[in-house]
Amino acid sequence: MKIRKRLLIVTLVVSMLLILLSFSSVMAAKKTVTIGLQGPITGPWAYEGEMAEHSCRIAAKLINDKGGILGGRMIELVVADDAGTPKDGVLAAQRLVAQGVNGAVATYGSSICRPSSDIYEKGKMINIGYGVTFVGLTQRGLKYFFRTCGRDDAQGIFFAKYATEVLGKKRIAIMHDNTTFAKGVAEETKKALQEKIKAGKAEIVYYDAITAGEKDYTPSLTKLRDAKPDVWYFTGYYPEGGLLIRQARDLGIDCPFIGSNAVINEDFIKIAGLDVAKGCLMTQEPMPETLPFSESKEFLKAYREKYGTIPTSPWPVYGADALNVIAYAIDKTGSTDSDTLANFLRYELKKSPMPGVTGPVSFTEQGDRVGVPYQMYVVNEKGKIVLYKPGK
Amino acid sequence: MMKKNKILKKAGILIVVAIALCIFPFVASTYLVDVAFFFGIYALLGLSLNIVLGEVGLFDLGHAAFYAVGAYTTAILNTRLGIPIFVLLPVSGLTAAGFAWLVCSPVIHLRGDYLCIVTIGLGEIVRIALLNDPGGLTGGPNGVFGIDRPTLGGPLVIDTSIGFYFLIWIVVGLSIFGLVRLQNSRIGRAWNCIREDEVAAEATGINVRSLKLLCFILGAGLAGLAGNIYASKMMCVSPESFTFMDSCMYFCIVLLGGMGSIPGAVIGAAAIGLFPEIFRSLAKYRMLFFGAAMVAMMYFRPAGLWPRKRGGSGVK
Repeated sequence: MKIRKRLLIVTLVVSMLLILLSFSSVMAAKKTVTIGLQGPITGPWAYEGEMAEHSCRIAAKLINDKGGILGGRMIELVVADDAGTPKDGVLAAQRLVAQGVNGAVATYGSSICRPSSDIYEKGKMINIGYGVTFVGLTQRGLKYFFRTCGRDDAQGIFFAKYATEVLGKKRIAIMHDNTTFAKGVAEETKKALQEKIKAGKAEIVYYDAITAGEKDYTPSLTKLRDAKPDVWYFTGYYPEGGLLIRQARDLGIDCPFIGSNAVINEDFIKIAGLDVAKGCLMTQEPMPETLPFSESKEFLKAYREKYGTIPTSPWPVYGADALNVIAYAIDKTGSTDSDTLANFLRYELKKSPMPGVTGPVSFTEQGDRVGVPYQMYVVNEKGKIVLYKPGK
Repeated sequence: MMKKNKILKKAGILIVVAIALCIFPFVASTYLVDVAFFFGIYALLGLSLNIVLGEVGLFDLGHAAFYAVGAYTTAILNTRLGIPIFVLLPVSGLTAAGFAWLVCSPVIHLRGDYLCIVTIGLGEIVRIALLNDPGGLTGGPNGVFGIDRPTLGGPLVIDTSIGFYFLIWIVVGLSIFGLVRLQNSRIGRAWNCIREDEVAAEATGINVRSLKLLCFILGAGLAGLAGNIYASKMMCVSPESFTFMDSCMYFCIVLLGGMGSIPGAVIGAAAIGLFPEIFRSLAKYRMLFFGAAMVAMMYFRPAGLWPRKRGGSGVK
């Protein structure tokens, strides 16, 4: 009994110490410019969260190596984990606001972004999303919210055009998994296809959702097979994508598989197996390794030196650019006042966009990124994701 | 004489706790106040599940469904019809309670694991129904957004973290008061009797069926209240806040705290709500430590952190 009591006390003391530890970091960060990162460090998208953290660290390091901003002030990154859930997102945002960071990179996942961007708005803090493509996010009249990534409709419009014009496919199947992101892309694709349907050049033969997290998708896939599509667009995420393509090929569905930008990555290839993943296509913002800008080459070199690899999904580099653009705005305006920064990002930046890792960065008045290009990628024989050249 | 002293001591502790709770938000950071708010939400959900699981011993692994019904009732009625949140507070509770009555009536005779499976199914049906956007009401995976802050329609608006903190803890306080009274009432004793031996309870003339239904209805009603407050705090609701995992968390709250124990439910909520925040500085090992802490607690206190003392109702 005594030992148990002691153990309990020890546990309590240790947890108290941890609380203190987590707050002492706030105290130390006054002279530097602090930028927060809210991302899914744990939870189902921990893979994305880790790469985003690495990317932001590299971006901050590159700025600091060049002498920092505002004449020598260093950038310090404060990471807040939102575990990929709306509730933890609110707490993470609240924590960054309470710590008084000068701006926040937040976050991955549209449905987590929505409540947390409200917290930032109330705390008058610049927050820039890096993996949030739901169109409605910037339609709410928020003053401090921006995003460096593109929107769902851009991807849907690109797919509709590419599938019908470049690939010349007519019978189109669209599948999503009912998450905010996947359904958003699917709906935008459907909208973008209406024109082609009217012209008789396309037909949606299948439009349905699967349930994320399941292991056996045979019932949905049987229905898909009966629809006899020419091309199949899946807008969900990679864990389901990998299983779906594997099971579809076993069922004899052999039409081209096109994934949205969250479907195809290294893990997708691992889950599906290279024999099946080979030849799968993806609509995507340019992947990090194909970025042509000198800033991107410098960034990827530094990333590789530190972590031995480069980001395997397109989102983390948008996180790096979100951090870059906050730092850039602070440096240009010479101020850390959120209103000044918001005005700069919204009205001034357009005149001379910031050269970023993902190309020139500037924002529309709503807070959307100006000009995010999309491309079609393919998994090649070696399991690498490369630019797709039609006709091959 | 001894008894009077004990009561005085208890009252003293209560007053100290109440004062501490009132001072806390004014000295702590907004972040800590928000953590305390979510602790309050978990406490209310723990208390509500404690009625079903702790008092009557019915396994309910779909409690998030009632929470979701409360939250979505508030969200839909507020955004569509503009009804003030405070007016919707009782409405959400009643809707969730009515929903519980509707879905539990046909299955209430099931026992043990069988009821448990039905409640799991119920939780999933509600979540997937919300995802499928019936009648364009729930907004599918995007959920409903643009929910107001709590107000009665007048100038009194709760829109600060401190305001929400007091709102949830006043509701929790009132619930605790009511539940303690209930525990010592005829109904409470009948519930415990059903938990210990259902056949014996029926033989002594207790209406087992209606009392079981009552516990579900009350539990769901309280969860509905929690849903209302959660919805207006977040200003949006989406189905991913009401998953099976969440139901499991509420289950853990009751088990960790001690079945049927009211202070236990609050302490269990503290463990579930605060531990992930305490371990935040461990970054990606956060959930590992959270799990380890739970295992350790169950190992050292198998009956819960604050088990219910037997004999409170005069029976030794």
